[in-house]
Parts: sequence; structure tokens; C-alpha cells
Amino acid sequence: MRSSAECVIIGGGVVGTAVAYYLAKRGMRDVVVLERDFLASGATGRCGGGIRQQWSTEPNTRLAIESVRIWKTLEDELDADIEFLQGGYLVLAYTDDDVAQFEKNVGLQRGLGLAVETLSPEEILTEVTPHLNTEGVRMATWCAEDASANPFLTTQAYADAARRLGVEIELWTPACRIIVEGGRVAGVETPRGKISSPFVVNAAGGHSVPLARTAGVELPVTPYRREILVSEPLERFLDPMIISFSYGVYFRQTKHGAVIGGFADPDAPEGFDESSSLAFLVSMTKKLRHLMPILAPVKIVRQWAGLYDVTPDAQPILGATDGVEGLFQANGFSGHGFMIAPKVAELLAQAIAGEEPELDIERLNARRFEGGDFTQDRSVV
Amino acid sequence: MRIDKHPILKFHRGREIEFELDGRGLTGYEGETIAAAIHAAGVRTLRTSIRLGRPRGFFCAIGRCSSCLMTVNGIPNVMTCITPLERGMKIETQTDKGHIAETGSSPRKGPSALAAQRPRGGRRGTADAEEPSRAEEPRARDLGHTPLAVVGGGPAGLSAAIAAGRLGVESVIIDENEAPGGQLIKQTHMFFGSKEHYAKVRGVDIGGRLTSELSELPARLLNNTTVLGLYPDRALSLLRDGRHHRLSADAVVLATGASENMLAFPGCDLPGVYGAGAVQTLMNVDGVVPGARVLMVGAGNIGLIVAYQLLQAGVEVAAVIEGLPTIGGYHVHGAKIRRAGVPIMTAHTILEAEGRGRVEKALVARVDADWRTVPGSETEFDVDTVCLAVGLSPNCELALMGGCEETYVAELGGRVAVHGSDLETSMPGVFIAGDASGIEEASTAMLEGRLAGLAAAERVGEPLDETLLESMRDEAADGLAALRSGPFGDRPRTGKEKMYDLARKLRQRGERREERSVDVQK
Repeated sequence: MRSSAECVIIGGGVVGTAVAYYLAKRGMRDVVVLERDFLASGATGRCGGGIRQQWSTEPNTRLAIESVRIWKTLEDELDADIEFLQGGYLVLAYTDDDVAQFEKNVGLQRGLGLAVETLSPEEILTEVTPHLNTEGVRMATWCAEDASANPFLTTQAYADAARRLGVEIELWTPACRIIVEGGRVAGVETPRGKISSPFVVNAAGGHSVPLARTAGVELPVTPYRREILVSEPLERFLDPMIISFSYGVYFRQTKHGAVIGGFADPDAPEGFDESSSLAFLVSMTKKLRHLMPILAPVKIVRQWAGLYDVTPDAQPILGATDGVEGLFQANGFSGHGFMIAPKVAELLAQAIAGEEPELDIERLNARRFEGGDFTQDRSVV
Repeated sequence: MRIDKHPILKFHRGREIEFELDGRGLTGYEGETIAAAIHAAGVRTLRTSIRLGRPRGFFCAIGRCSSCLMTVNGIPNVMTCITPLERGMKIETQTDKGHIAETGSSPRKGPSALAAQRPRGGRRGTADAEEPSRAEEPRARDLGHTPLAVVGGGPAGLSAAIAAGRLGVESVIIDENEAPGGQLIKQTHMFFGSKEHYAKVRGVDIGGRLTSELSELPARLLNNTTVLGLYPDRALSLLRDGRHHRLSADAVVLATGASENMLAFPGCDLPGVYGAGAVQTLMNVDGVVPGARVLMVGAGNIGLIVAYQLLQAGVEVAAVIEGLPTIGGYHVHGAKIRRAGVPIMTAHTILEAEGRGRVEKALVARVDADWRTVPGSETEFDVDTVCLAVGLSPNCELALMGGCEETYVAELGGRVAVHGSDLETSMPGVFIAGDASGIEEASTAMLEGRLAGLAAAERVGEPLDETLLESMRDEAADGLAALRSGPFGDRPRTGKEKMYDLARKLRQRGERREERSVDVQK
């Protein structure tokens, strides 16, 4: 392991490896990624792999649209199969609130150039999938350009591409402390030694909070356990991701053929617990059977949990850190880091490399929470 | 082909019933598994592999390997080696991952979404058909709470329940199979050791004795039930009759046994390559012969015993080969098959199994001290079956899923949950015994099971007869020490010592951590 670098990135998830890649692409190649375990071992590898552009706030929607632009050519760019598929996202509305919110969302999304339409329950069955139980469904929004990809393959692809450009990725190497000297970041301490660096990126998901604290920085990010399960593989019968905020569910079929899905338990305690619960298994299989009765005989083969790193407005914390020059944050993704990672990482790399980021990332700086004036994204599952 | 005459066993076959395989009418017997009935009809290919389309046949016979997945009554990926045959079943050879969309027109009639490995007639299509429009989804059934839950009704599990039961502690034993006894039910040979360890009793009869002893005690058996998961606070999720059930316990004994090891060689996935345990199941439980001529790979006790059992069932054994320079099993077992004219070829390995769609030939060669094949020493055997008896690995998935600390101990067969000499894992109240805690044999499994049952009974927290507890514990511990003192006990004894040592260290570390946190709180 080298003892100095131009930039140290903490976290070998999709965000950390992507930031490394986009930095190297910009010529900053003396970059080290520190990963506590193995690549995608945290939230990235535990997520559902959906890529959604239908959001209720402008920054999330814009970041997602710009990310999909990158996603579409990412396999060519990284020279790897990442199982990218534009199978669409079907968002189900069950309540009056849903319907009212979705109408607002569609207005915002269309204003940003997203091809999104509203479907009646009958149209869902004829145009998206004949297998959905539309009982109680008032309407849905549908974006055929929404997508999915394999989180492991994507992270591996970014890491491999970054390595080819000279980036070093240190696995099984936790960051113990961010070293700050005179209001400036000076490096990172690991059990294998210290790496001095003028730039440090905190992309450690739920663990970003204790890590930032070592630099004297308090982040408004709370980790919550989120559970998910996967079935045996089956021949393809479903292309889109199907989600509902009010019913609380998301699921899709992976390229491998497995049905993967979960929901956010509103009563999940905060903290770093990543154990699986029997209650989730029971509730989730019930939801799946209800929404898609043909899944009844399908066997569940595995369940697991990961951490959402949730901010007060469900939007990420991105960019420079007040009071610690050279320390950049890329965390607080609130459960949708994978889908917006390409653009977020590129913007952050631009900022670190001293370029003007293509999109304004100042509004995603942690200081937005100081005044208490922020808009929460309601399209969170 | 079915066995009609057997020197030891009598097969009590159920009623003859008809079923369909790929549209062809076949008959089997009630009470046997789908895979056994199909095998008896001479069909060797149960499915083809997803990626390369290679034929796959019977292999493990205990619901572990996925080689037997077929579509049954429209439900894909059913483990036919543990699913009982039923009249009128429509069975299809699967050539892909399986389809659900086309067959799902009456969705509420399907079994649970939670691993419907056993589509049982009667439940489906009758009970549900009477209330097809039921709006409420079936809920997980709560089986409530039991002082002691024992997972696995083999020698270790039954012994755990018996030991606890003698102290008056109630238990529920959960077993995947129709009848308890675990692998004992297929062991036709007589056991060694002393009288109290069932010497001179056949395995199949030991299972019966344990079961009848249990019937006098406060224990309840849930057969045909699979434990799907172990959760915090010793909550178990179960699959029974295609339905999901919940059960919680003050103490849990995991006695989930072992799985057979595979050996990698070209053609090792051909139908006709079987695990030795699977061959025992097929022959001694279902009364179906695996083939006409067998090559046995491995001359440990299992390899030697199963080779003899094959002869008893009227199957020709071409040879027993063993990679090591000497046989690993008892010489008395080796002598028996040598007397029957079967060559035991030590320092030999299998190079390849050949055949179109099924095993037709096996290529064997001598290996030198460095396990390199000796050129020119190749021998070809015309066999239709290759039987692998190359060791076992502990089934410790449940323990690991529950969050037990794990470690690798080669002498115990690989990955195992860390446990102390009281068999308790790092999860308080969760114990592990028998092959699941390290590969040994049925006699040690019974004694370990007893120790785990006693420790678990203490954990339940009811007042116990301390004198009886201590005498039972001493007896079992002494018995274990005696069994592990012989030349064949070296390996497990070393493994167990390493394990107990590690458990002690982990517990000390945990205690230190607790002390520290108490200090901080002060």
C-alpha cells in the first residue's frame, strides 16, 4: 500500500469506485480506494439494483436522468457486462395522497424532459404486465426508460476500469481515522499504515457518520436497517421494476431470473444492525403473493439486510465539507445511491479535480440542513 | 429396477399408483419419492443443466444438491428426491430455469410462496378449491413456544430430545423426512463398540429403538417439515404442508447432519454418478438398485459398507478404489468385500466418467505419493454407476444464518459453527450436535446429542433433577471419550480439542468485552 496519494476514497461501493474512475479519467490517477471488506460488500451489494428517474424533487430527478444518460453507454465505456436493462418502472398509486402527489411528480418529471406517462389499472395489465393484481390500485406512473443493473458487476466494472487507469484499490483495509491538520485534511489512518493525501472522499455509506466524526464533522445521516429477499431463478416473465410507496414494496426479476425485492419497514430502529428478521420474510412474501399471485409457488432462497444512510430530505450529501478543506462527502444516499451513482460520481470528480461541475452540486452540500429549509423527496421506498 | 429379494430388508411397499412423466404413463408406489419411482422405471435423466444443457440425474437423495429439480404439477424446481410420489402427478423433465407464468392461472391454489418443495395432494385443489375466492392471504401459522426445539431427527437429534425428555423437559423435533431416524434408516450393517452404544444392532433398528424410547417421553415429532431459518431469540421458520409456520424455543439443538462431498473429474455430473449415501437411500429405503455394475470411489467405512450393501442387493461391484495407500475404513469391512471377490485398489483415483447421456465407462489410474497419476497405469471399467464415498461436510447453514460464529477445522470436515464442550454455539441457547458439529459417526452423534440435550435442558431454566443430570452427563462424556480414544478417534478428537479451545477464547473475549462495557456504564 502506498503511503501518499493525490486522493483517498473511503468506501469500495459503487460510489467510491465510480469516483475513483472519473478522477482517473480526468488525469488524477494517483488515487487509492480503501474498502473495509470486499467490493460492494456494503449497501451497494445488498440493494435491489433498480435505476429510477421518477422522483418528486428536482435534484433527485435531474441526477437520475443524467445518470441514465451515462448508464445507457456504461457497458461500452467500462468494457464490461453489467446486466443493464431498460425494463421500465411501474409506480403504483393506492391512495388519494398518492394520486395527488403523482400528478405533481409527473409535471415536474416531464418538465425535466422525462418520458413518463400515467396508466389506468386496465392499461397496466395490457401494456406492462398481465400478472399484476390491480386490486385497490388507483393508477400508476410508468417510465419505460427506467432501468436496472447488477450492482456487483457495476462496482467491479468501475473498479477494473479505474485500476486500468492506475487507481489502487485496497481491500480488507478499513479507514480508522481521517487525519485533519490545521483545518485541512492530511490523510487517512488504516491498520496497514497511514496514507497522506490532500483530498479524502467519505463514501462509506451508513458508516460515513462515525468516520466523519473522526474529522470533527457531524453529518445529518442516520443508518437504518433495510431488508430484502431473493427467489430461485425462473425463466423471464417480468421486465420492469414494480414499486409502491404507500403499499411499501419494490420488486423486479434479475437477468439471472430471480425475483428480488423488499420494502422499508417504517418501524426499523436506527443503527448498524444488519440481521435478517422473520417478520420481514413473512410480510414480504405476503406482499409479493398479493401483488403477483403467480409468484405463489416460487421458492425464496435467501434474505439479507443492508443499511440505508438516510438524510432529513432523502437526498444525498455531496461535495466539500465546511471547516475541513479537502474533505468531500458522498453519502446520505437514503436508499438510492446505486441508481444515481454515475452522475454523482462524475460531478464529485469534477469538483475534486478543480473543474466547474456540470450541474450545481452546492444545493446538495450538508450545509443546506443548517437553516432547516429543505424539501423532502417523497418518492422513497 | 426394484429389489425383490434382500438378505436383511423387507420392503413394505405402498399401493401401486399411476403418474405421468413427460406425458408417459408410469407406475410407482405410495410412500416412495418421485425420484425413486422414476429411477425404478429406468429413467436416469431428471433434468438438464441450465447453461450447457447437460443431463443431470439423481445424486444426493437428501434434498441438498438440486440435481433432481423437476416440474411437478406445473410447479418448477421441485426437489423430487425428497418429495413423495402421489397418484396422478404430472412430472416434467426441466430443461430450463422453469416457468411460472403459463401455469399460474389459478394462483391461490398453489402452495406457499415460501419454498413449496413438497406439493402435497389433498391440500391443493381440494381444501383450497372449496374457497377459491378467499380474500385473505394465508398467514404464517404460529406453532407457539416450546422449551426445546430440536432440528433434525437423526441419531443426534433424537438423542438430544431423549436426554432432555428424561429430565422432564418437553421438546419438538423437526425433521424433513417422512420417518425419523436420519441416515440410520438406511444403515443395514451392525454397529461396533460397546453394548450401551448399540453394538451388534443394525443402524436401521437403532433408529426404531430411539423413536420408541422417545414415544414414552414428552416429545413431539413434526415430520415432513423443513426448517427454513433460524432468527434472533431462537425463532424458527418452518415449512410444513406447503405452509409457513413459526415456532420459538428457550433452547434449540441443531442436529442437521452432513452432506456428501463431490469429487471433480470430467463427467462427474453424468447421470449414474451418485453419492454413496444416495445409493444407500435408493437401495435400502426405496428398494431400488442404482445400476447393474458399480465402481466405488473411496475405501473409508462408508465406501466399504455401501459396496457390501450393493452386493447384498444383487448389484455387481467392479472395484473399490482409494486414493490413499491404505484403506481408511475398518479392515473387517474391507475383508468382507475382498472375500466376495471385489478388488480394492488403493493409491488409485478416478480420471473420468464417460458415456452418452449416462455413465457407461470409468477410467481409473494409479497415483504416486504426490497424487500424480502414473502414466500407463490407466484401467477402464465398464460400469453404469460410479458411487462417490469421499467424505462428508457438516450442514451448518442454519447456525450460520442465525449468526453463530463459524470457523474452519479440517479435522471436523470443514466449516463448522464454533461450539464448546457443552455444544453451545456463540448464540446463547443454540446448541449443535452430531455431524453438523463435525464429521464423526452415528455412535458419537448419539452421545453428543445427549450432551447437547442435557445442556439445552439446563438452559430451559426449569428445576431439574441435578443428580440424574450429572450422572447422564458423566455417562455420555465418558462414552464419547472412549469412542474417540481409538485409532479412528484421533482426527475428530484433535478437531474437537481445537474447537473447544477456540470457543473458550471467544467466550473469554466476550466476557472481557462485557466487563468493559459495565465499567463504562459505571
